[in-house]
Amino acid sequence: MDNAVETLGLTKSYGKAVALDNLDVKVKPGEILVLLGPNGSGKTTLLHLLATVLKPTRGTAMVMGYDIVKQPLKVREVLGISFQEPRGFWRHKPSHILSFHASFYGLSGTKKSEVVEETLRGFDLWSSRSKRFMELSGGQAKRLEVAKLFVHRPGVAVFDEPTAMVDLEGKRMIWDRIKGLREAGSTIIVATNEVREAEYLADRLSIMKLGKEVVTENLRTLKDSISGGDVVEVEFSSPVTNEISQAVLGVPGTVRVTAETESMIKAFVNRSEDWLPQMMSLVQTLQTKVTSLRVSEPSLDDVFLHYTEDAVAEKPNA
Amino acid sequence: MREMLSLLWFEVKEEVGAVHWTVYQWAFFAFQYFVYGQLVSKLVVSVPNYYFYYGTGLLIIMTFNISTWAGRRFVEGAHEGRLRYILSLPLRRGEFFLEQVLMGLVVNVVRIGPPLVMILWITGAPALVLLTSMTVLLAMSAGIMGIMISLSFVAFKSFDIYSAIVAGMSAILIRFSTILYPLSYIPNAYANISRGNPLTYGADLLRSAVNIDVSGLLNPGLSAIVVLAVGVSTLTIGMALVPRVLEGVKSS
Repeated sequence: MDNAVETLGLTKSYGKAVALDNLDVKVKPGEILVLLGPNGSGKTTLLHLLATVLKPTRGTAMVMGYDIVKQPLKVREVLGISFQEPRGFWRHKPSHILSFHASFYGLSGTKKSEVVEETLRGFDLWSSRSKRFMELSGGQAKRLEVAKLFVHRPGVAVFDEPTAMVDLEGKRMIWDRIKGLREAGSTIIVATNEVREAEYLADRLSIMKLGKEVVTENLRTLKDSISGGDVVEVEFSSPVTNEISQAVLGVPGTVRVTAETESMIKAFVNRSEDWLPQMMSLVQTLQTKVTSLRVSEPSLDDVFLHYTEDAVAEKPNA
Repeated sequence: MREMLSLLWFEVKEEVGAVHWTVYQWAFFAFQYFVYGQLVSKLVVSVPNYYFYYGTGLLIIMTFNISTWAGRRFVEGAHEGRLRYILSLPLRRGEFFLEQVLMGLVVNVVRIGPPLVMILWITGAPALVLLTSMTVLLAMSAGIMGIMISLSFVAFKSFDIYSAIVAGMSAILIRFSTILYPLSYIPNAYANISRGNPLTYGADLLRSAVNIDVSGLLNPGLSAIVVLAVGVSTLTIGMALVPRVLEGVKSS
């Protein structure tokens, strides 16, 4: 099995509104793929289709070798989903909810009790185990929603905004547990519009917009794909002449150069790690001195905005 | 099957766990039967043994309300997100639909059982009557749940319209029927409409089951066929329609 998940022209429409448009995404076994996109980009629809909660209008997807249209029951056996909004059985207690979930996936007796206790403790819910669901705080309810997948540890675990409503400490805890789930062998798909979450978790990122996949790559490649994304501030020991500016502009990989102060320029370059050695050679050739040099690479925010603000974005490998 | 029973047990525990609601329904039934029933049976003198007739009518209204609630709960589950979670579990859609109906029936037994036993005990009916009358009530309940769940597609467009339809249906179905007055004692125009109402057949079948001696009850065989036909057809429609609506097939 080359891919744990593969969508094949997956399309979902509601009347004339297209929520997901002819999507072809592949998720490798054991990786964490983060779906990043603005509201309404189709992330949640994609997750619901993979979980067979919704049926596609056209196309299909394979999950661990099972077709979501033809073998939905098999898909539900190997894929677990943690929903965006924690809703549920208002009068049941967290321990009962997890116990019920565990029994649905074949756990019983002492083993089930052990797993439920371990999960409740792991998600800091042990002290709230006897409260009713309706009495939990928003953060606790969300942690319970996420915790369900750690009871049965599915082959493919799908999380829809796993840390929404969760405090900073809780976010880090959930992220680490998701990574732990991957280490234990699960393939993970996370949908989020929180850039920091994506940056922390992603092996690869798929940026979505208006129901379409804009680009899917690892973070490094995405950052490198932004033309002039790396910014290098170079301060010279003497005022920057027009000759120096033009020479810097001529270094391969330079997109543009701006003057910051009399002796400092800011160069917007592609792949600063390739650009810097050439810049140093130029400095020697020009027989000038550099007193300081600062490199900053584009943040994921820059990448996200770059790909979602453009109506037609180019893929890095296209 | 094991998964379906597991879900059934989980949902029933949650519903029956709301003990105050169950006790409230019993208390409300007792008040209507012992207070209002006594008063109204003194006014309705033309129908023999009307107090008993009224009591069985109350049971049917209670069954109707609980069955309507079961359908409404299904819709609320969709709006609240509970349904989405259940749909993601490894359970066949048909089994899920069956589980919803079974849950409604179990809740019916819990909430209607004691009032039914009380009425039959007061009237001195034999134990077998409890079985037959409960069977009739549950068959009616299945039909009503089938209608309410089948109508859920309306709720996915507008919950307000769904609520209005359910309220309107409740008012019409209960009043244009023999739930509170026998067919032979009501005006012809009213009786003709009531003959087209499945609840009339259910109500008369229950009275036949508990041996109420009122002239003009519909033939029990015919009534049984109508009640069963309504139950089977509405549940079949619901079973075919609802999963498609839930999975967004109808909307695409």
